[in-house]
Parts: sequence; C-alpha cells; structure tokens
Amino acid sequence: MNFIKGWKKRLLLFLAVLGPSTITTMAGNDGAGVTTYSLAGAHLGYTILLTLPFLTLLYAITQEMGSRIAVVTGKGLADLIRERFGIIVACGMFLLMSIANFGSILANVSALKTSSQILGLPSAPFIFFIILVAFLLVTNANYQTNQKVFMLGMIIYLSYVFSALLGKPHWGEAFTSLVVPSSNILTKDYIVTAIAVLGTTITPWGQFFVQSYMKDKNVPINNLRFAKFEAFFGASLSNFFTFFIIIATAATLFVNKVNVTTGEQAAMAIQPFAGKFAGVLFAVGLMNAALIGMIIISLSTAYVFSEFFGFEGTLDAPFSKSKLFYGIFLFNLTAAGLIVMLPSINLFKIVLYTQSLNAILLPVILFFLLKISNNKELMGTYTNNKWYNYVAGTSAVMIVLAAIAAVVTSILNI
Amino acid sequence: MLYFSEIKGKEIRTEDGIKVGKLSDLIFLASDHPTITKVSIRTSENTHIIVPFQFVNKFNGEIALSKSYLTSELADNELYVVKNLLDKQIIDIQGNKIVRVNDIVLQDKPDLYIAGVDIGFLGVLRWLKIERLVFNVFLTLGVKLTSQFLSWGYIQPLELARGRVKLKKENEKLARIPPEDLADHLEKTNILNIKKILNLLDKKYAAEVVGNLNVNYQGALFRQLSPENAAKIITYVDPDEAVDILLTLSLKRRENILNFLPDEVKKRLNYLLKFSSTPIGKLITTEYMTVSPQNTASEVLTLIRKFTPDFSFLIYIYVVNQHLELVGVFSIHELLLQKNDAIVYKFMTQNVSIVHLKTPKEIAVKRMLKYKLTAVPVIDNSKKILGIITFDDVTEYLIDKI
Repeated sequence: MNFIKGWKKRLLLFLAVLGPSTITTMAGNDGAGVTTYSLAGAHLGYTILLTLPFLTLLYAITQEMGSRIAVVTGKGLADLIRERFGIIVACGMFLLMSIANFGSILANVSALKTSSQILGLPSAPFIFFIILVAFLLVTNANYQTNQKVFMLGMIIYLSYVFSALLGKPHWGEAFTSLVVPSSNILTKDYIVTAIAVLGTTITPWGQFFVQSYMKDKNVPINNLRFAKFEAFFGASLSNFFTFFIIIATAATLFVNKVNVTTGEQAAMAIQPFAGKFAGVLFAVGLMNAALIGMIIISLSTAYVFSEFFGFEGTLDAPFSKSKLFYGIFLFNLTAAGLIVMLPSINLFKIVLYTQSLNAILLPVILFFLLKISNNKELMGTYTNNKWYNYVAGTSAVMIVLAAIAAVVTSILNI
Repeated sequence: MLYFSEIKGKEIRTEDGIKVGKLSDLIFLASDHPTITKVSIRTSENTHIIVPFQFVNKFNGEIALSKSYLTSELADNELYVVKNLLDKQIIDIQGNKIVRVNDIVLQDKPDLYIAGVDIGFLGVLRWLKIERLVFNVFLTLGVKLTSQFLSWGYIQPLELARGRVKLKKENEKLARIPPEDLADHLEKTNILNIKKILNLLDKKYAAEVVGNLNVNYQGALFRQLSPENAAKIITYVDPDEAVDILLTLSLKRRENILNFLPDEVKKRLNYLLKFSSTPIGKLITTEYMTVSPQNTASEVLTLIRKFTPDFSFLIYIYVVNQHLELVGVFSIHELLLQKNDAIVYKFMTQNVSIVHLKTPKEIAVKRMLKYKLTAVPVIDNSKKILGIITFDDVTEYLIDKI
C-alpha cells in the first residue's frame, strides 16, 4: 500500500513540474524541424535514424543543464549572460539571437501558410487569425493555462505516428538503423543532413526558452530531480516523434525514390503510397508544429529581450505590466506574417541564412551554458558532473566543426 | 561627474610611468554615501590586485598610482562595482523588475563616490561607443534623448550584497507627506524609528522634518545620530533652530558636530551660539538682507534674487551705511511700489524699531505687536545688526507662555 502511495505522490510531483522541458523539446519539432526531418527521411531513408540516439542524449543534457540552472539560480540564460559577461556581449547576443529567431519564425509562418493551403484553408486570413488568437492567449491566460494549451498541441504530434503507420514501414530495418551504421555515413550528403537535423533540434532559442520558461514556473529546488527527469523525458518524447516523421517519408518517398525539396511536397507526395488520409495527417502535423514553433520562438525572443535589459517579462503578468515583453512577441509574429504574404520574397534563402546563424550561435551558447553550469558561486553543489562536461564539450566541438562544414558547403553550394 | 564606462579598462601606471595594469573594477562602501575606497587592477600577468584609493594620485584623464603603492583586500562592508552593481536587475519594493543597471555615475567632489546609476538607453549605447552617434541621429530627427538617472538615495545598499538592486519605494511615499505632519507622526514612535526613517529621506527634507520636531525629540535624536549625519542635517535646518538643537547637546557633542560642518555654516552658528545666554539670543536668526542707501530699487531686486533663494523668511530689507550701521528699513511691498531707478535712501524708513540683546522677550514682543512688525533687527551698541527676530519664533515663545 505504502509502495503505491509513494509512487502516486512522486507521479503527482512530476506532473506538477512537467512542462517546460517537454514543451521546449517538442517545440524543437517545429515547422522547420518537421520539414528537415521529412526531407532527411526522403533523401537518406532509414539510415539517418542512426543520429537519433546521440541526438536524444545531447538534447537531454543541454535541456537538463538549462532547467537546472533555472531552478537553482531562479534566472534565465539571458539574465546570467548579461550579469556575468556584461552589456557588450549581451547586446551582441541579442542582435544575433533576434535575427536568427526571426528567421525561424519566418520558416514556421511559411510552413503554416503551405500546410493551410494543402488543407484548403484561406492562408492569409487564417495566419492573422492564428496570430490574434496566439496573442490573446499569451497575454490573457496565466502561465498554467498557457502551458495546458501548449501541452494539448503535443497530442496532435500523434498524427505523424498514424501517418507513418499508414505507410507500412519496414520496422526491422528502422530499428536496426538506430544502432547499426550504414555505409553512407561518411558521404557529404549524410553529414550535411545530420548537421541539419542536429541544428534544427538543438537550437539557441530552445536553450533560452527552456530556462526562461522553467524560471517562470518557480519550481522549488526540492523538486529539482523531477525537472532533471523531465529533461530526459522531453528529449526522448520529442525524438520518439522525430523517429516517426523520418519513417513516414523513408517508407514511402525514399523507398520509391521520389525527390522532394519542401515540406508540402512531402505531404503531397506520400499520398499515392500511404493514402490521402496519411497526407492530410502529415499536413495537420506540419501545421501544428508550425503553430507551436512560431509562438514558442517569438516568446523566446521576448524573454531574451526582457532578461537582457531587465524588463518585467513573465507569462503571469498582465499586459499592462509587461508591455515590452508582449509587444515584442506580437511584433515578431506580425512582421513574419506580413513578410510571408509578400509574393516576391525568396523565403528559402532567408531561412537558409538564419539557420546557418543558428548553427554558429549554438556552440557559443553551449559555451555559456557550460561556463555557467560549472560555476560554483552560482550553482553551489549543483554544478555539472564530469561526464556531462565531456559529452557537452565534445558535442560543442563537433557542432562547431559540423556547422562550419555546413555553412561552407551551403554558401559555396557544393 | 564621470561614467564608469569611460574609465573601465583604462591603463594604470605609476607616477613615474611604470605600467601596472588595467582598471577592472572599483570597490565602494555599501552605505548611504558609497565612497570609492579601492580599485581593482588586472595586471599584465592576468592576476588581479586591489589597491586602496589613497594611492591613486590622478583619476581624471589618466589614472596614476603613487610610486610606493600597497595592495589590500576587500573589507566586510565593501562591494564591487562590476560584480555587485553593474548589469544587475533593479527591482522595486514589490519585487517588480524595472530595468538593469546600464552604467554607474561617479562624482569626484569632495571625494570619489557613486552618485547613482544610469538606467537609460543611452547608458547601453555608451558601452558600445555609439552614444554620441545615436544621440545626434535622433537629434536631427527632432528627438532629444535624455539619460535616465537613478540617484543612490533610492537604492537599498544592504540588498546589493544579495545581488539585487532594490529601490526604496516607501521613501517616495513618505516624501509626499508635509514635513510638519511627518514630524507629528514620528513623535508618536520611538527615537530609533525616527532615526531610521530620517536616514531614508533626502537630507533637505529630513532637515525640515527635524525642524518641526518637538525640542525634546530633537535633542534625543541628535544624541543618537552620528556626528557626521547630524552635521548634514544641521546644515539644512534654519540657523535659529539649529542653535536651539545644538544647545540641548553636551558641549563635547556640540563641538563634534560643528567640526563636520562646512566652514561658512560653522562660523554662522558659532556667531549665534555666542548670544545664546542672553534673553533674545536664542530667538535670533541670521537670515536677513542688507543693502546700501545708494542702491536703486532695481539693484535691490537683483540682489534679492541673487542672495536669498534659500531664505525661509524675507519681509524687510535693512539699509546699512559704509560703517555697517543700521540707518533704515523698507518692506518688500514698499520696494515693489518704487520705480526701477528710485534710490533706496529716498524711500526707506529712517526710524527703525530695534531691540538689543539685553532686551527682555516681553518687551520685544510688545514692540513688534505695537508697530505691527513681522520682524525686528537686533543691534549692538555700535548700531551694527547682529541678526533679526521673526514673528514665528516669537509666536512659539508666546504659545509656551499660554
């Protein structure tokens, strides 16, 4: 009896802490993410699944560091960067972050546009309706309600699981690919795709967002272990869906050698092989991913600004108290909505450059993250343990090398 | 005045030009008057040394240490500018975030201390070295950017050690109450409370409050305050009230406080204290103005504007000849009726009602009432003015009688 009681209590505590990491990691599967995964599946098939276990581990570690810093110090990443590294670094970071984030928001709004077109919705009114609803939700509802709405969005990711099932994938090959390397992993195509997958999963904005969102939640330090567990839970959950997104295209488009270059092409192209319903599910998933992505990334920019320059910025504050915070949120969404409506803009180029900027920023942010999470003065007894630093440090170096390779190849267009 | 952003990273040499390192931080006393006590220097070997400020010879333009400088360590009541203040979150009394500390404003007179913090947009731009550029761009667009300054008086020094820059919001609330009411309110609490609240207040306002306290409280309060703080408040209290307060204290304590006063104030108070044993002496104030009989009306107005802005009372202007003997008087009303070029001796009243130091208070009061005067001059045997007695001081005396 006591045994069950203990478990019940622990489960409730976990549910109380649950949220920030799960939402952030799932939002990592945003419009840009989903597109990248489906294209990766279409190009390289099951073989790209090999990156997932490592990706999950790294994702969990970085998310865990962010949540831990937030719970221990009660401060966001931008707060700490400003306080420890000064105003010049803060201004530089803000400039780069806001540009990179805006690029990601653009990518998501544009994914929202295309998915709404596939589903036969009028895209322009639909996008602005969504922006209005998002703004009202974020400004009027408190933290708890916001979190519930975001969590609800997570359920829609299940559409990818069904979409993948409808494609009748080869499960044996899928699972062995997770651990057994294939012969193509040293080709340029594979490396570039792997970096793209990594870069769209572990993002600068995700790192800032998880910490700010966790800080906003005011989790007591006694519940730190639940927050730690949640980081691993969230990373696994998000990559569980990544697995299905990749399978959905690998089982259909790769196997039948259909060449696609955009997300909506993928959604259309899987229909002949997996049925119309699978295509619709795929489009719904993309729309949902884009929606969550654009809201979370805009919030991330707003958090970063408020923290760097010290303004009130929390989801619990009413509009009148956090005007700048909500203003920046709305500005990002509206500007992205307007730009996406322009017919003559080459979105592909813009998104490519901003994704490269994300790749450049990521190692820098990992540096800050390691520096802060190992600081005894700030973290007390909660500093990183050794193998954490090894994994994160090696990953940072790997990401730098890979990012350089990716940027060089994409600019030279080799 | 200078900004911390202008001196951070500056090269530091000794007087004879030997390089010591670069200025990395300043150390200040965590108190109401945050004096800079030490400088932290990053040497070329990338180590940090702390040098007491007394070894800093030059601070404006370039920074130079004296040849035989010594190093020191951080004391208990000291904090770092960069580590504990710069870039920190400013929160108000309710814990709401307002803005961050963008720059530190230093004042170099009389000693180097922190006057306050810059919380404006220009403070951010100053670090990026584009303050002037952006300022000028906005100016051509017709917008004049102003820097936002938060005085040290609004910051709770004790909270700084915890990494928080917390404002004293209740201070603002107190400041809105008229000094007389606050004095009444304070008299109901104990003397330690009075001391605590006065420390929060702007010194000038605190002085007004003190002036309105009952004499017994004033005495008790000034026995509690440090001589330095007492002196600060005394400078702002009306001279005749200052004398009353000082007279309630022991001779030793009085001397102690006087030593902390600026010379001019000290001289004036000593002068008044001299008369304190005579009946009139305690009522005398030195806030009066004299002009020469040859001045014109417009000249007198200019003099009034120049010398009397901080007077709490001015009804009569006294006229003295070149031997400083009192020869006449006129009221502000009489002055205003004159043409600009009217000469003082033509419109002044030559028959002046006066009192002497030895005149009993009752006589002085009766004389003021009889001639409907709001103030009378006190003169010595050679007709020189020692000070004046004003009707409000007399009224206080009368109330005591009733």
